[in-house]
Amino acid sequence: MDLSKRLFINIIPGNTFLDKLTGKTKIRLFFLLILILVATWDMRILAPVCLLGIIGLVSIKPNWKTVSGLTIFIILVNLFNLFLIWVVTPDYGADIVGGSTLLLRFTSRYIITAETLWYFLTRFTKFMATFFVSLTFIQCITPSEMAAGLYANLVPYKVSTIVSIAFRYIPEIARDFEDIRISMQARGMELDGRKTRLWTRLKQNILILAPLIIVSFDRVGNIADAMDLRGFGRGRKRTYYAEHEDTKEDKLIAAVNLLLLIGFVAIVIGRIFFPSTYQVWAPWINA
Amino acid sequence: METNNKKSIGRILLGTWNTRTIVAVAIGVALFGVLMVFGGIKVFTNTSLTSAMVVVAVVAALFGPLPAAVTAGLGNVLADLIGGWGFWFDWSIGNFVLGFFTGLIPIFGARVEEGVFQVKHAVWYVVCVLVGNILGFGVVTPVLTYLFYSSELTITWMQAFSAIVSDGIVLIVIGLPLLFFLANRNANKNNLSIED
Repeated sequence: MDLSKRLFINIIPGNTFLDKLTGKTKIRLFFLLILILVATWDMRILAPVCLLGIIGLVSIKPNWKTVSGLTIFIILVNLFNLFLIWVVTPDYGADIVGGSTLLLRFTSRYIITAETLWYFLTRFTKFMATFFVSLTFIQCITPSEMAAGLYANLVPYKVSTIVSIAFRYIPEIARDFEDIRISMQARGMELDGRKTRLWTRLKQNILILAPLIIVSFDRVGNIADAMDLRGFGRGRKRTYYAEHEDTKEDKLIAAVNLLLLIGFVAIVIGRIFFPSTYQVWAPWINA
Repeated sequence: METNNKKSIGRILLGTWNTRTIVAVAIGVALFGVLMVFGGIKVFTNTSLTSAMVVVAVVAALFGPLPAAVTAGLGNVLADLIGGWGFWFDWSIGNFVLGFFTGLIPIFGARVEEGVFQVKHAVWYVVCVLVGNILGFGVVTPVLTYLFYSSELTITWMQAFSAIVSDGIVLIVIGLPLLFFLANRNANKNNLSIED
C-alpha cells in the first residue's frame, strides 16, 4: 500500500494563483462555495460553480493520473446512485421538478420523463461541482496552512492543532502499518488478496488493526509531554508560520468571497421567504 | 482512592481538554480517516464496512463522550479530505452523534484507563452503541440529508441502514474484545497500591 501517493494531501505549497493565497482566504472561499452548493438546486447557479471548480482544478496543475482515476470513480458512483433512485422512484421528477413529460415507457411503472432526467442532470452537476471544488481545495492547501487558516477564521487553536497533528500523523500510520504487515508476513501470514479468501483477509485485517491502534495510543503520552514541555496551551492566542500577509490576490478573492456571501444569504432568504412549489428549477416550468 | 476518581457527570461529558486529550483526539482523527479510506470493504454505495469505528471505541473508553464525538466527526471530515470524494457533512454529524453516545460508557462506571471494564459495562456499551447508531444514522443523518440536499430519501435510508448494521458490527464484534484487552492490559500495568 503506497499510502502517500494515494492520499490527496499536498504538503509542499505550489506556486499557482490559488496556491499563493493565504489559508484564511482559501478556507473562506471553499466554505462559501460549499454552502452555496448545498443551498441551491438551481442549474443557473450550479453549472457556473461546477465550471469554476473545473477551472480551479486545472489551474493548480494537479497530478492528472490520480485525479482522473478518482474522477471516473466518482462519476460512476454518482451514476449508480441516480440509477438506484430511478429504480426506487421512476417518476421522481414529478415531485421535485413538477410535471411528467413522458419520453420513454418500459412498463407502466418504469418510465423516463424529461423532468426526472432534468433532476438527474441537476443532481449530477451539484455533486460533481461539490467534488471538483473540494478536490481543488485539498490540492491547493497544505496542512499547516489549513490549521493557520482555521485559526484565522476564529476556530480555537486547540482545534486547529488537532487538525495539524492529525495530518502530521498520517505518514506515521503508514509506516506503522507497513512494519506490522511485514512482521506478520515474516510469521507466515498470507496477506496477498489473490491467495486468501475474503473472510481470512478480514480476520487478518483485524490482527493488523489491533497493534496499530494500541501502538498509536501508546504514543499519546510522549507527544503530549513533548508539547507540554514546549509550552503548548499556555497562551490564549498563537501565531502560525504558515500564515503570511494578505497579497494582492488575497484582496481580489476577498472581494469575491464577499459577493459569494451576499449570494448565499440571498439564496437562503429567497428559499425561506419566497419558497417555490418545486425544489428543482427547470427552464420549461415557471412555478 | 475511590473518591478521587469520582467526577461529576458534566465533567465526564465534556472531558478534560488538556494536551493529552488533544493529542489523543488528533491521533484518533488520523487513524479514523486513514482506516475509513483504506480499511473498508464496500457494503453499499457510499458506505462500507469500515474498521474506523474501533478507533472511536478506544477514544470513547479512554477520554469520554466529547473527545470521542470530535474524533468521529472530524475523522469523517478528514476521510472526506484525503479520500478526495467531496464532503458529506450530514454523515460527519451522524458520526459525531454516534461517537458521543459511544463515549457515554465512563458514566456507567467503566474506567478502561484504570483497568475497570466488566460485563455490566460491556452491556451498557452495547446499549450506547445501538442507541447512538440508530439516533445518529437513523435520525440525524437522514434529517440533515433532507435539509442539505433534499434528495430522495430512500437511498439515504438504505445507506443509513447499512451504516447502522456495519458500524454496529464493527463496534461490538471488534470493539468489545479490544476494550476488554485494553482494560486488562491497563489493570496489569498499575497494580501498585498506595500504602497508608
